[in-house]
Amino acid sequence: MKDKVLIANRGEIALRIMRACQDLGLDYVVVYTAADEHSEHVRLNLDGKGNNRRAWRVASYTDPNDILAVADHTKCTAIHPGYGFFSEDFRFARRVTTRDRPLKFIGPTWEVIKELGDKINTKRVANQLGIPTIPGTDGPIYNEIDAEEIARRLLDDQAERKIHRPSILVKAAAGGGGMGIEEVHEIEQFRRVYRQVQNYAKRQFGDPGVLIEQCLRDYNHLEVQLLCSRHGERVHFGTRNCTIQSTGRQKRLEAAPGFDPTCFPYEFDGPAVLERIVEYSLKLASHVRYDNVGTWEWIVSRDGSPYLLEVNTRIQVENDVSARISYINGQHPNLLREQIRLALGDKLGYNQNDIQFRGTSIELRIVAEDAQRGFAPWIGTISRFSYPQHEWSAVYTHVPTDRPYVIPSDYDPNLALALVWGDSMAEAKERARLFLNEMVIEGSNAAGLPIVTNLQYLADNMDRLLTF
Amino acid sequence: MLEQDIDFDAILSRYRADPFDYLAVHTSHTGRLRFKVAKGDQVEGVTGKFRHIPGTLLYELERERNPKRFTSKTNGQVDMIRADLEGNFVEAGEQIMTLKHPLTKREIIEYILRQVLTPYKAPEKAKYFFSMDLQARVDKYGLRGVSLKPGDEVLTMSLMKRDTPVYYDGEPGIIHSVYFKPGVSVEQGEPLFGVCPKDRLSLIERIITRVKAEWD
Amino acid sequence: MEHLRKRLLKVEERIVYLGQIKEGPDWGNLPALQETLKGVRDSFYDLSQEALAEKIGSLEESVSFLEARCEETLSSMERVRIVRSPLRFSLKDLLENVYEEYTELGGEEDANIDPALVAARASICRRTKNKTIMQQVMVIGHEKGHGEEYRNGGSTKPWGNEKALRYMRVAETEGIPIHFYIFTPGAFPVEEYPGAAQQIARNLYVMAKLRVPMIAVTSEGGSGGAEAVGMGDMRLMFSHGYYSVISPEGAAAIEGKVKEGDKLPKDLVETCADRLAITAADNLRLGTIDRVIPEPILGAKRDDFAFFRRVKAEMIRATDEVVLKTKSLRAFRAYELKLEKDGEAGLDDEPRIDVSWELADDEIERLLQLRSRKYREMARQGYQEKLSGYAAFYRRAGQSLAKLYYTFRYDILKSQHKQVKKVIKDVSGESSVLIKQVSAPFYAAYDFISRKPGERPARSGALWGSGGEEQVEYGEIYTSSLANEDRTVTCPNAERHGCKDLWVPDLYGEFCGVCETCGHHFPLEYQWYMRHLFEPDSIREFNSDLASINPLDFPGIDKKLELARKKTGRPCAMITFDARVMGIDIVVAMLYSDFRNGTVGAAEGEKFVRACEVAKIKRRPLLAYVHTTGGIRIHEGTLGVIQMPKCTMAVREYIGSGGLYLVVYDNNSYAGPVASFLGCSPYQFAIRSSRIGFAGPRVIRETTGEDVPPYYHSARSALKRGHIQGIWDRREFRRNLHKSLMTMGGGNLYYR
Repeated sequence: MKDKVLIANRGEIALRIMRACQDLGLDYVVVYTAADEHSEHVRLNLDGKGNNRRAWRVASYTDPNDILAVADHTKCTAIHPGYGFFSEDFRFARRVTTRDRPLKFIGPTWEVIKELGDKINTKRVANQLGIPTIPGTDGPIYNEIDAEEIARRLLDDQAERKIHRPSILVKAAAGGGGMGIEEVHEIEQFRRVYRQVQNYAKRQFGDPGVLIEQCLRDYNHLEVQLLCSRHGERVHFGTRNCTIQSTGRQKRLEAAPGFDPTCFPYEFDGPAVLERIVEYSLKLASHVRYDNVGTWEWIVSRDGSPYLLEVNTRIQVENDVSARISYINGQHPNLLREQIRLALGDKLGYNQNDIQFRGTSIELRIVAEDAQRGFAPWIGTISRFSYPQHEWSAVYTHVPTDRPYVIPSDYDPNLALALVWGDSMAEAKERARLFLNEMVIEGSNAAGLPIVTNLQYLADNMDRLLTF
Repeated sequence: MLEQDIDFDAILSRYRADPFDYLAVHTSHTGRLRFKVAKGDQVEGVTGKFRHIPGTLLYELERERNPKRFTSKTNGQVDMIRADLEGNFVEAGEQIMTLKHPLTKREIIEYILRQVLTPYKAPEKAKYFFSMDLQARVDKYGLRGVSLKPGDEVLTMSLMKRDTPVYYDGEPGIIHSVYFKPGVSVEQGEPLFGVCPKDRLSLIERIITRVKAEWD
Repeated sequence: MEHLRKRLLKVEERIVYLGQIKEGPDWGNLPALQETLKGVRDSFYDLSQEALAEKIGSLEESVSFLEARCEETLSSMERVRIVRSPLRFSLKDLLENVYEEYTELGGEEDANIDPALVAARASICRRTKNKTIMQQVMVIGHEKGHGEEYRNGGSTKPWGNEKALRYMRVAETEGIPIHFYIFTPGAFPVEEYPGAAQQIARNLYVMAKLRVPMIAVTSEGGSGGAEAVGMGDMRLMFSHGYYSVISPEGAAAIEGKVKEGDKLPKDLVETCADRLAITAADNLRLGTIDRVIPEPILGAKRDDFAFFRRVKAEMIRATDEVVLKTKSLRAFRAYELKLEKDGEAGLDDEPRIDVSWELADDEIERLLQLRSRKYREMARQGYQEKLSGYAAFYRRAGQSLAKLYYTFRYDILKSQHKQVKKVIKDVSGESSVLIKQVSAPFYAAYDFISRKPGERPARSGALWGSGGEEQVEYGEIYTSSLANEDRTVTCPNAERHGCKDLWVPDLYGEFCGVCETCGHHFPLEYQWYMRHLFEPDSIREFNSDLASINPLDFPGIDKKLELARKKTGRPCAMITFDARVMGIDIVVAMLYSDFRNGTVGAAEGEKFVRACEVAKIKRRPLLAYVHTTGGIRIHEGTLGVIQMPKCTMAVREYIGSGGLYLVVYDNNSYAGPVASFLGCSPYQFAIRSSRIGFAGPRVIRETTGEDVPPYYHSARSALKRGHIQGIWDRREFRRNLHKSLMTMGGGNLYYR
């Protein structure tokens, strides 16, 4: 069986998928938009003639019709959605796998994406399995009296547990992205806020349903990396810490494993908590018959209580952070390669005992942005782009090193991902600083001003950012 | 610029020599292409009292078993056609034909005015929209009823999924002509609109009258 | 000489008129006559008076002979041309010659809200042996004029019909009879407020129970426009008039599938006119009119004074009859006897009896009853019911049993129910804590008894959320069969809203036929609504054996009906059934597109009327869901048109008895049904992306000469004009329906 993979994404992930395909000896096709025609994933694939070409221009990365038309025309048999775009779109996965000319979707089955894509549903399923979730409702509430009772119980419960300044969040059930969320500290305020959110929800989403949950502050945001096959095999690649994401900013730094005592003195048994969330994650995965890569997102409060937040049914940007603390036969696994291989039907070929965890890794996201000015994106032309090669580092980038590159204005100005690893957190941090120091990015914008990146910001703030 | 600075004869003779616009037609998405016109065919643009009658069918693009029909937006003649692509699968954004559109008097005036009006250029390659406030004023008073002065928030620049306000920094005047379409990406440095200072309005009027008189 | 000249001119006019009727001067020996006429005219001053008189006399004789022959063989289309002739009498001629005095109301000549419709207060006079009696009437009708353009050929604008309604109400207030005169080729098909269709519907709704006698006479009865002022207690027709569901030209365009702007084949127009059964005789035979007023040969013109006398006699007689029938059978018999005594000759003269046209309250009730019965009985021959004698008996027996049951359940039990409730309210109203303790168990017991079966006790203690009410709705979700195709379609709004092509299985499956970007609704088959709107297995169809037939033997229609039956497995375009929406029992009447484009004929109308009756007996809300209707089925002629008043009457009586009537339009709803039993609902809604109107863009273009914007008939435009009360998303249909039933139905759901 020789599959041909259509890579339905751009930037560094398109390159990573492309390389993984090459490693696996699979043919592939990339798609691109006019704005990306100078990108590396396109440049590397323009040489073929006619239908043998490996790069095809489409109207948009989010138009399923163009992507499938190209897949059919180039006789692809599988689609890799990367992250973002179609990666968690169960409709796309459903269409890809159920159409007259079905293709393999490199990701979980569409049913699983659908089931876990709905946060409320995930919470309900988790609760059934005894997996802790943030205390609160697992379905929309429409009745004010019920709602107040729930709110009272949530507040009382926090007071009992001696939580400082108990509070709850009232959210529009149909909302998302932080819209329509209000915080309540005292039960006396609840009815007013409830009505306000209910009215908002009704106006904005046509559904007055409201969710109520405990408001957590000051917590760690952890991720558990799972890998499952179509044959019911499931392994994990440990945990990673992405707390910085939760402070309202884009992720810029991640580290694995999830807790490191040098970063912060924990009052609880860190490794034990990590073990628990891994166990819970595997339990849910087994229950829903999860069958590809996935990330289980957890919140761990100051007292060490974990709560399942959601499941990302896709490969994540930061997957390699986990891979760099994992060893199979002394080698770092390549999760993209594993994902593709398993999605195409392979068996895992190893088990959890074959995976060893060692040391610490850090991921640095290098972005053309101005940390001084609210992380405003910078656009212009990069004239020089070079980074050091170490045996303790890896770089994923779509920015070419051999020619000037215009940052396309249609997408985020992400430039590169850099991974560094070492035996300890201290060593990893030191190497990260060294790496940032050695990296060179030069360029200028239309006004002739030099490029602004977050290299300095990362170097200056690494300690602070890695204080979990 | 004064009236005598403008060499009307030169400008007009240029348009007389080639009174056409050459409009490239690009495929808007991928698909199997079937032309419905041939080189030299005359095509019609959108017509009807409510602009509800579509123009001449130019080509059909079949994608995912959906044969989609594309019609001409303007009148003219098929000047170039990529007949070699007939029946082939084409990519998105492929130029498949050129339409030769006979310029109307109004269009010629617009072109000439472009040389007289002060252009406001796109600061970045981005998508542009009029700012909410300006749009509201335009809707109320009409484009030429709105005057601009430095410091006014004139545009919203949509760049990297973020909206940035653009403040006007040119000479005061009215927006005489708009060259961009909302939501369509504009290259950096391309003119977005042409501004006419109040004291030059009469010059513009004279140019319009003159072109109208000399062009038939 | 002058006298001869006039005679000659008259002859010439008659020859021209003949030519007009025959559409061309080549019929019979018309050319020869014309030649002769020319000869006489050229030699007018050369001939002696006697010779001239003789020549003219023989010419007159020939013309008379020709006219007689023409009259004998008068075709339907020729009648149409007679009616359209500018020489024909108009309403103004009647007002001047039939009535003593009249005062035009609401405008005169071109200074008028709508010069095509005239309303006038008039007095009509009759003599008995010893006195002259003046009686007051309201005259309302169309004025075609004699060539004045502003009359618009009698094609009333919506506001003209609104004016008509206003003066009908005035007549009602004053208690005077109304004489309607119908001279219209059809209503002017514009949607501007109050809207062609909606206003006609309002007029019909009011006329159904207008508390004064109404006599309607038709000269030119163009479909919906005619019905707007035509719901008479007595319906008369001038012998040379026509009354039709559509103009013969319109029918020909549809039948021949003639493209816009192309010339209509003349013989097709002729055959269509014949097939549509449009003449007075046809209509009398079909029972859509009661009597014919004879006109002179080749139709009355504006100077046929004998004819006007006859009209006056007929109008008085008709009004007398309507009035007397409400009084007593004996009075009516006596009246008829008296007329019989006067004999045939008496027909041309007004009855020499004094009959007061004032009605007492009980007489008004009888008038309304008679009117109701009259329209209920119409077009009975236009459908077929495959019922054996037994089945018919059981149906009737079942109906009366049901009536008994529901009367008992609602009228007798309800009053008790209300009393019990009232007691509880009183008790707890002045309550103290003590009384509450007493009444609480009583409450519980009462709730238990009066609760409907299937209703579960209120949720208690479900504090941690239960996933909302809509969670487990259907065991198995019905998916449109349209979804079984791997292809994409383009949203019609793609250019404006940038909608992506939609994958058909998603579109017709999960998206319920709605574009995910712009919300455009793609049409779905009616079965989808049957399965998604109502509780599973709650649908019980009734009258499903009522079938559309071809009552006019319109050629080719039997075959088309057979095809439609095969395609749909149903005998007509109307489905009526009992159903339940979130626990509320309702009656539904549904017009669907697959059967002859949802057109309404006698079978559909009858089914609708019966649905109203069922809803009335069972005291349930009535929902008219219009999946699509193309209007009145033209192949049934005026048997179709008559469904407009017939069904509106049923609606009026249902609402009058306390019912809640909701109308929901989907896809395309046009013409007659919208202009009657649908448009008269106080609560009309539309599903998104549907179109509602009177006439389609082509008809508007052809009648008004103006193009209408593409969104002219859109639900949004209809909402702006106030025709509908809201636009519903298809996916919210069930919820909105339930909400409407609850809010509009109020505490008792649907019964006042």
